[in-house]
Amino acid sequence: MLNDITIGQYFPGNSVIHRMDSRFKIVLVTVYVVMLFVAQNFWGLGVGCAFMIMVYAASGISFRLILKSLKPVLAIIIFTAVLNLIFVKDEGDPLVAFWVITIYRKGIETSAFMVIRIVFLIVGMSLLTYTTSPIVLTDAIESLFSPLKKIHFPVHELAMMMTIALRFIPTLIEETNKIMMAQKARGAALDTGGLIKRAKAMTPILIPLFINAFKRANELATAMECRCYRGGEGRTKLRVLHATKLDFFAAALTVCVLGIIIINNIVF
Amino acid sequence: MENIIEIRNLEFEYTSYDDDGNVSGTNKVLHGIDLDVPKGQFLAVLGHNGCGKSTLAKHINGILTATSGTVTVNGLDASVEDNVFEIRQHVGMVFQNPDNQLVATVVEEDVAFALENLGVPTGEIRRRVDGALKLVEMYDYREHSPHQLSGGQKQRVAIAGIIAMKPDCIVLDEPTAMLDPKGRREVMDTIGMLNDQGVTIILITHYMDEAVQADRVIVMDSGTIVMDGTPKEVFAKVDELKAHSLDVPQVTELMYGLKKSGLDVPVNVLTEQECAEELLKLRHGKLQKKEDPGKSGDDSSIPCIAEVKKLTYKYSVGTPFEATAVDNVSVSIKKGQFVGVIGHTGSGKSTLIQHLNGLLKPTSGEIFIAGKNIWDKDADIRSVRFLAGLVFQYAEYQLFEETVYKDIAFGPKNMGMSEEETDKAVREAARTMGIPDELLERSPFDLSGGQKRRVALAGVIAMKPEVLILDEPAAGLDPKGRDTVLDEISEYHKKSGTTILLVSHSMEDIVKYAEKILVMNRGRLFCYEDTDTVFSRTKELEQIGLGIPQVSRLSHLLAAGGMDIGNDIYTVNRAKERILEITDVK
Repeated sequence: MLNDITIGQYFPGNSVIHRMDSRFKIVLVTVYVVMLFVAQNFWGLGVGCAFMIMVYAASGISFRLILKSLKPVLAIIIFTAVLNLIFVKDEGDPLVAFWVITIYRKGIETSAFMVIRIVFLIVGMSLLTYTTSPIVLTDAIESLFSPLKKIHFPVHELAMMMTIALRFIPTLIEETNKIMMAQKARGAALDTGGLIKRAKAMTPILIPLFINAFKRANELATAMECRCYRGGEGRTKLRVLHATKLDFFAAALTVCVLGIIIINNIVF
Repeated sequence: MENIIEIRNLEFEYTSYDDDGNVSGTNKVLHGIDLDVPKGQFLAVLGHNGCGKSTLAKHINGILTATSGTVTVNGLDASVEDNVFEIRQHVGMVFQNPDNQLVATVVEEDVAFALENLGVPTGEIRRRVDGALKLVEMYDYREHSPHQLSGGQKQRVAIAGIIAMKPDCIVLDEPTAMLDPKGRREVMDTIGMLNDQGVTIILITHYMDEAVQADRVIVMDSGTIVMDGTPKEVFAKVDELKAHSLDVPQVTELMYGLKKSGLDVPVNVLTEQECAEELLKLRHGKLQKKEDPGKSGDDSSIPCIAEVKKLTYKYSVGTPFEATAVDNVSVSIKKGQFVGVIGHTGSGKSTLIQHLNGLLKPTSGEIFIAGKNIWDKDADIRSVRFLAGLVFQYAEYQLFEETVYKDIAFGPKNMGMSEEETDKAVREAARTMGIPDELLERSPFDLSGGQKRRVALAGVIAMKPEVLILDEPAAGLDPKGRDTVLDEISEYHKKSGTTILLVSHSMEDIVKYAEKILVMNRGRLFCYEDTDTVFSRTKELEQIGLGIPQVSRLSHLLAAGGMDIGNDIYTVNRAKERILEITDVK
C-alpha cells in the first residue's frame, strides 16, 4: 500500500518542455504564478490559462495526470468556492436566497475566478515536477541559489541533503513495509482501535525505522568519505545545465504573455 | 614485487567516553599487525565477526587512524592528514550493504560522485563513468534508479563508483554477505576481472569458496594475523581453522576426514575437480546397492498442519506491473516435520511463506492452518499469525523495546498471555536460543549482531507457534554464528516437535537439518519430496539455477570417472562413509 506513493512524480519524456533547462523552468513557473495573481479580470486570467493549456499540449502529459494533481487540493478548491459564493455580496438583488444563504452575481463571479486561479496554479506547478527529474531539479535549485553562497548560506549542503533524501525515500518505504509485516507477524494490531491506540501501535515500527536510518546515515557518510567527498568546494558535475535557444524563446514567450495581461489590466 | 600496502606493528584501540566526556574505557581491537600486500595481489581476509578485520580495512584508506604503528599506502603515510585524500584515490572501499553506499538517485550520477568530488572536468567524468559502467556490465542500467536494481547489481554499481577513480587497490568488506547466490557470482566475477586487469584486491569474506579464488589468504583472530599463506596452505590446516571458528571447503573437509580414517589422500585440495582427480587414483570396488529402508518416504499417516490449495498470488493487479508471484501451488506440510524451502530470488518462496501466516491474502486458492481455513469469514487473521510464527530475514531490524525481556514478551503480550505465562514463555524462548539470563535486562541495541538475531528469533518462539517459518535466519552471520543459530533451531524442533519451515539460499544449511525439501521455481512448485529424493535430481536443480553442495558436484564427477558413490550425496559425512565403503583402507 505504501508502494503506491510516487514521489517526485516525474514522467520521463522528450518533449520541448522536458528538454528545457530546469533553471529556466523554475524561473518561468514563478513568472507564471505571478501572472495568475496579476490578472484582475477574466480576460487576463483566460490568457494565462490558455498559455498553460498550450504548454501542456507541448509537454505530452496526459489529461488524467492533470486531474490527478488536483486531487489532493480538491478540498481547498471546494472550500474557496463555497466561501466566496456565500460571503461575496454586491448591491444588486440576490440571485438565490434560501434559509441563511444568499448568493449574489458577484459571488458567483469571484468564486469562479478564484477556482480557476487555484486550479491553474496547481496544474502549472505540477508541470514542473512532471517534466523534470528530481535530481535535475535539485541541480537547478543549487545553481539558482548559488549566489547565496557569498553570504555563507549552505546551498550545496542543502542540495546534497535533498538528493540523499530522494535517494533513500524508496528504500525507507520498503523498509517500513518490512518492519510492519514483521511486527504484524508478532501480533501487533496496527489497523484496529482508536486514534491513541493506533499511535501507540506505531512505536514498534518507528523505533526500528529510526535506528536503522541512523545506521544507514552513518554507513553512507563513511562511504561518501571513501569516495573523497569534502563538501561543495571544487566539485565538478557530470551533467552541466546549459540554456539553449529554446529556453530563451520560452522566456520571451512567457514575458510577452505577462505583458499582455498587464496591458489588459490597464486598458480594462 | 613492489608493495602497495605496508603495515608495521599496527595497533588500534577504541576509546569510550562517559557522559561528562571523560575516558571511561578502552577496547584494543588490533594488536600489532604486520602486513605487506604486493601490487596486483588478490588477498582474502578471513576471521569470525569481531576479530578486527573490518577495523584493519578501515586503516588502509584513512577512515581510522592507528593508535600506534604505521600504515603506508603507495609510499604515503596514512596517519598524515594531508595524505588521506590522495590515499583514498589509490585505495577504494566497497562495503557490505549495497543500499548504504549509493548516494545519487540515478546510477550514472552515483558512479560520477567520486569524480565530481575530485573536480575532474565534465567531459572526462562522462568518459570514465561510461567506461566503469561498461566494465562492471551495468552500462545498460545507467539511467535506472538504485532501488530498481537487485542487490548484486547495486553492489556492481558501487564497485563502478570506485573504479571510476582508477584506484590501484580495492578493499571490499564482505561485499557479498547480503546477496543471493546469483548476486554473489556476479560480484565475484567482477572482482576476478578487476584483479586480472592488475588491480590489487583485498577481500574480507565469510565464504570459503570466495577465499579459495584468492592468491593469498590471511586469517585473523583477536586482532592479530594468525595464519598467512596460499589458499591451499591455509585450508589444509583444518583443525587450526576450526579453532578460529572458521569453515573449510567441503572437499577439503572430506579429504581431511578420509585421511584421518586411514586413506592415503592429500588434504590440500580446494575444488571438486582436484578432489575427484585424487580420489579416482584410489583403487576402489563397487558400491553395494542397499535396499532403501524407506525411512522417510512414507509420511501419509502423519496429520497435516499447513495446507495450501491451488494458491495463486498476483502483484499490482490491474496495473501494467501486474505479475504472478505464486502460480497454482498446492502443498501440504505434515505436523512436526523440518522442511527446507529453496528457490532463487523471485521464485515465489517468500510470497508463499507470507501466505502461511496470513500476511498476504491469496488472489485465488485456500490456505488451511491446523485444519482451519484462515480466510474464512469468521476466522480471525490475528490468531492465525499466532499459529504460524514468521521470522523475517535480518530479524534483528524489528527489535524496538528497552530491554531484551520486553522485546521477547511483545508477541506473547499481543496474544493476551497472562503475566506469569508471558514470563515463562520469555524465559523458555531465551533459553532455547541460548540467551543468558543476564542479557534479558540489557538493551537489545547493546548486543552483538548474532545475539540480536537470536533475541528476534526468541521473540517469535515465545509465541509458541504450531508452525515456525524462518526466512534466512543465518543470513549475514559468520560461520560460527550461523551454525549456532541453526543448531539451536534444530534442537528446538527436536524438543518441542514444532513444525519448522527453513527458507534459505544455502543448500548446505538446508540439507544438514531438513527431512523434506520444497523447491520453488518461477512461482511454481518444482518439487516437494524428502531430501534423498530431491537430491537424486541434483542435475535438474542445477538446471534451474540452484547451487548444490560441493560434495554433490564431486559425486557427479566421480561417477563420470567410474567411481559411483550414489546419487544421494549431499553431506560430507555420507560422502566419506561411501568412499570408505568402496576403497581399501591400508
